Amino acid sequence: MTEIAQASPEPGAGAQPSGKTAGEPARVVPGQPDMWVLVLFESLLFTAYFAVYLFHRTADSEAFLRSQAQLSAWLGTLDTLLLLASSLFMLWCVQATRAGAFRSAMANAWITGLLGVAFLVSKVTEWIKLVRGGHSFTANEFFQYYFFLTGIHLLHLLIGFVVIGVIIYQLRSPARRSRDLVETYAVYWHTVDLLWVLIFSLLYVVR
Amino acid sequence: MTGETAEPARSGSPLTRIAWHCRNNPKRELWFAWYTTVIFYNIFFIVFFPVTHAQPPPHPYWSDALVANWFGHNRGGLLIGFGIIFTIAGATAPQNALIAYSMRRMSVSRVFPYAYLVMYSLSAIPGLLLLCVVLSVGALRPGRDPAQLHWLYDFGFLSYTGTMGIFLIGSLVWMLAILLDKNRVMPKWFGYLNLCNALTEVVVAPAWIFHAGVFAWNGLISWWVDMVVFGIYTGAFLMQLRNLIRREDFGDGPLPGLVKKPEAMAATLAGTAP
Amino acid sequence: MRRADGELILLWTMPVVAVIWISAFFLFPGFAHPMSPSMTAAQVAAFYRDPAHLSRIRYSMILFNWFAPGLIPLLMLIVMQVRRMAHRTPILSYCLLACSAGGPAIFLIADVFWLLAAFQPARDPQLTVLFNDLAWMTFTTAVPFLIAQSLFIALAIYLDRPGRLVFRRWVAFFNIAVAAALVPAAFTGLALTGPMAWNGLLPFWVKNIAIAAWIVVMSVVTGQNIYRERSEGSAPQAAEAPVAA
Repeated sequence: MTEIAQASPEPGAGAQPSGKTAGEPARVVPGQPDMWVLVLFESLLFTAYFAVYLFHRTADSEAFLRSQAQLSAWLGTLDTLLLLASSLFMLWCVQATRAGAFRSAMANAWITGLLGVAFLVSKVTEWIKLVRGGHSFTANEFFQYYFFLTGIHLLHLLIGFVVIGVIIYQLRSPARRSRDLVETYAVYWHTVDLLWVLIFSLLYVVR
Repeated sequence: MTGETAEPARSGSPLTRIAWHCRNNPKRELWFAWYTTVIFYNIFFIVFFPVTHAQPPPHPYWSDALVANWFGHNRGGLLIGFGIIFTIAGATAPQNALIAYSMRRMSVSRVFPYAYLVMYSLSAIPGLLLLCVVLSVGALRPGRDPAQLHWLYDFGFLSYTGTMGIFLIGSLVWMLAILLDKNRVMPKWFGYLNLCNALTEVVVAPAWIFHAGVFAWNGLISWWVDMVVFGIYTGAFLMQLRNLIRREDFGDGPLPGLVKKPEAMAATLAGTAP
Repeated sequence: MRRADGELILLWTMPVVAVIWISAFFLFPGFAHPMSPSMTAAQVAAFYRDPAHLSRIRYSMILFNWFAPGLIPLLMLIVMQVRRMAHRTPILSYCLLACSAGGPAIFLIADVFWLLAAFQPARDPQLTVLFNDLAWMTFTTAVPFLIAQSLFIALAIYLDRPGRLVFRRWVAFFNIAVAAALVPAAFTGLALTGPMAWNGLLPFWVKNIAIAAWIVVMSVVTGQNIYRERSEGSAPQAAEAPVAA
């Protein structure tokens, strides 16, 4: 596996779509099309969840509004900034990988992960605070959606940690480095960020 | 073994052609498993939806009287439908065998197919048969105490909807195998789809908590959205397994790409000697 | 050349396990003259409360609980025979493997329900009826994997190389007959009396005799194969079997 991965005929390190041969031109789409399938699917799924939420919200907007007032907009904004920053570092990680600056890429990947951890800590703290305040998963309809959406998002974030772990592991050794893989998994991380922005807008902002 | 046989009768009746394939197609074992799976899903769907009315599930919040009413109303459908399931549920084995086989064809360790096979072999008990037995017992005696019927009702639907771990871990095992595989047996996007399927098992967990609303066992999110994902996933893996069988060369290395039908048949007849 | 690999030992556990099962079968007061689904709640409660019955119920079910999985070594020996067949893929062995856990596991669930019914005989008779129903229904309808396993064996024999069959053709037909014999038991819920009730001709007598016959016949033909394998030398057909682990 060469330092910057090209469209190679070998069944490569998890980054080659099937049937690729040596003579084909570089792909226009960064990251594998396969990852975009996942992104599209998850986005549609979350859209369905959001639609269900909005539909039920319009049926009982006052109760929802009252519950929404319990959420801290500041904390939500902080969370959003943390993830946006992490996406920025992920972007720099990809750029560094493309330029061959692997130490820099790894550093950026680590920082991305750390910002993700900060988000995790913030989110869990917020949950604990809410539950202690009597607003648990089963408290009322709004909080069902709140804990469900933030919970399923957090799960995606945890998967994102695995993804970053794989990126770092692969970047470590020259034999394993793959630009394709980093680009592909970066797409996943950006998706996690995007989903949070949507959840933030729906749950914290839209009143 | 198959080199001596004649070309398949392309102009014979469908029955003759099927008979030829049963006798001569080198991949007949794999096709047997695939067709059994497809037929099973069709029968399963018909039994669970229109015959027994067990799906979509009735409401968790019903009173004892309404539950007793449901059992009385559906008695025949439940007993006949689940009788059919008790007869054919063993047809889940070829599906698990074929999926395990797909992992065996991959470059990953044999641990993957064995883990998957074991998990899914047992999944049919809490994830299918318990519901069938328990609801059959509910339908058995029309005069049973409604509170007991309600207990059976909860037991049946919760065990069916709420058996999550096997499908969660099993899907992750298959996903990991696909992502690590160097033989290009399945496309990577299908590996990621396994992740989506695994996540539906998380999404369904609140069914154990809520009696009503979108997270109940028949709720908009825990059942309807999950069913759509499951349906897409099932369609996708049936298609992938079909492609696998068509591409299979009984070798050890990367699986060749999909070839057009007549050429494929010629190749399997001429090339694949035992 | 004898192989000290334990297969013979496992094979010979079958008669021992069979004797234990048969003893437990007659020990349980509700089998030799099978309990009827149309017994009233009072009768069912009386059955479990009768001091002459209670110990017999408990001990027989404990015996079944201990030894029900005793079938699995035989099932695995059969899987090993199917692996020796001239198949292109291990698919049928996998199918058999996938079926093997199911039968004993479902039987164990029925066993638990009987033991539960016997644990507190003084409880409300309606509850005792519920546990008794669950036990009998689970036991009687526990046929899906047994039917499938017989059909897979029959198919495996059909797909085997004609000149050198591992199991002879009649074993395939026998398995198909057993599978057919088990089907009526799946529909036992439809009748509380008569030949389709869980104590009736088809779901009880035909089903259990078919299973017993299957165990005996398959043990014998599998045993014959194992002995023949040993007398022919070690690992005889493994070299030419196209199917690896």
